[in-house]
Amino acid sequence: MKINRRTFFKIITAFSFLASVPKYVNSFQSKYATLVYIPNCDGCENEPLPRCVKACRDLNRYRFPEPKKPIQPYWPRPNYEDWSNERDRIDTLTPYNWLFVQKIQIENNTINIPRRCMHCDYPPCVKGCPFGALSKEPEGNTVIDDKICFGGAKCRDICPWHIPQRQAGVGFYLKLLPKFAGGGVMYKCDLCNDRIKKGVEPACVIACRDRLKDKSVYKFGRREDIYAEAKRRTENEGVYIYGMDQNGGTGTIYLSTVPFEKIEAKLKDIKARFQMPVKVRNRYSDITKPLGIALVTATLFGAVTGTLAAILTKKGAERGL
Amino acid sequence: MGMIKRYGMIVILEHWLVAISGIGLIFTGLGCLPLFKRYYISEIYGLKWTEDFHIVTQLHYIFAVFFMYTVLFHVFFHLIRREFGLLPKKGDLGRAVKMIFASFGIGKEPKADKWLPEQRWAYVLFGIVIFFVSSTGMLKVLKNLEWVLFHPETESFLNLLHTISGGIFILFFVVHVLFVLVVKANWPLLKAIFTGKVKEEYAKRRHPIWYEREKS
Repeated sequence: MKINRRTFFKIITAFSFLASVPKYVNSFQSKYATLVYIPNCDGCENEPLPRCVKACRDLNRYRFPEPKKPIQPYWPRPNYEDWSNERDRIDTLTPYNWLFVQKIQIENNTINIPRRCMHCDYPPCVKGCPFGALSKEPEGNTVIDDKICFGGAKCRDICPWHIPQRQAGVGFYLKLLPKFAGGGVMYKCDLCNDRIKKGVEPACVIACRDRLKDKSVYKFGRREDIYAEAKRRTENEGVYIYGMDQNGGTGTIYLSTVPFEKIEAKLKDIKARFQMPVKVRNRYSDITKPLGIALVTATLFGAVTGTLAAILTKKGAERGL
Repeated sequence: MGMIKRYGMIVILEHWLVAISGIGLIFTGLGCLPLFKRYYISEIYGLKWTEDFHIVTQLHYIFAVFFMYTVLFHVFFHLIRREFGLLPKKGDLGRAVKMIFASFGIGKEPKADKWLPEQRWAYVLFGIVIFFVSSTGMLKVLKNLEWVLFHPETESFLNLLHTISGGIFILFFVVHVLFVLVVKANWPLLKAIFTGKVKEEYAKRRHPIWYEREKS
């Protein structure tokens, strides 16, 4: 095939367009992180409910779901997820309780672990949501848009800690085919998104500090400072760390005087609804990422081989289109 | 009367690579939606793995490797060779309607070139959908690779657009397969996409413009 100057420039332009995809742009560098020092948490004993839990519930009360009843089951399944009759539960995560204090006994010691979304660095929930209802904000927190969420609960399945909680009978799915697709809206901690965007700390952090002053369980701050402090305290105080490596890194770093392997074993033993696995691979980063590189390469390779094949084959020799 | 060559090996390979990887993408794409568990698909013997979103997503990427390779090969190969026979021509819309009615025994088929008018329209519509589903898919891949950065709202929009265009792709795929299988007049074309050839008698009757050009 004869290539004239015009065709040559067309080919060059096409390849320039493909090559113009930025080679490397930093992902959202999480601005903030939370340090959770477990030994300081007593679950606010002698108080009706933990301060952090109360602060979270009070702040987000207006965002809690008000399902339309009767709620239809998730056809063809007979069930549906409805927590609206258990709004007062504070011993677990629900659509009405986005933070809870998990109590476990290890060697006659009670350990209180505040549990909520870890706000992962490479959040599978955000990468996996087919409706784009989840996003990772520049501050480092992951947020569910309740107006877009279809309630398929993929985010919960894909989350190593199964944090997001579903409420049926609310949300966008009701406007489409509520019997056949969708299941409600997912709810979880968004790290007080509106507040941290204005530079105000999350409600749980402030509530805890009000009670425990400088012995506060939570410390919220710039990510690099929190990470540096966690590393320093691990080295100097001999405490154990959780959340820095799990799932490729998170925005929630736990420090404990009890090894996390023991916490994991205990939670497994009591079949707790929310586990704390020590080994958490980020399967998106580890496996899916190389496949993504292969995909980009194959796309470019298709353009290159298509061009070469067109140049090398004589028009008419291959009966094409 | 003998046989007449309709498709070369490259076109046959392009078609089947897109078709097979496209079917794989549809299946794994539906799996990426939380459908298989709810609809008991993962409970079918041998399909337990379909409830693992990571496995389904990885397979989706693998099928996309073949799909995107072939789509880009197709675009560049035929663009440079200036093979534009599948792009709609003036008056194709009316002829396509006549052709579809004729397929169901209403009226007479208009004289066709190598490609039927409705095929040309289907090609363009399929092309538009493939453009949207694959470009949003590629942007999602680049985002997941963290090579590009999107505003959270843009990211949400891309995900949604990929899901919607994927749904339209499935619809087009079903219509395409139905038209080939249900309309008897299209059966020689089904055979041809395997063998590359059609009977001269068929070409003369249904594609007289192409037939005359080939013979001249």
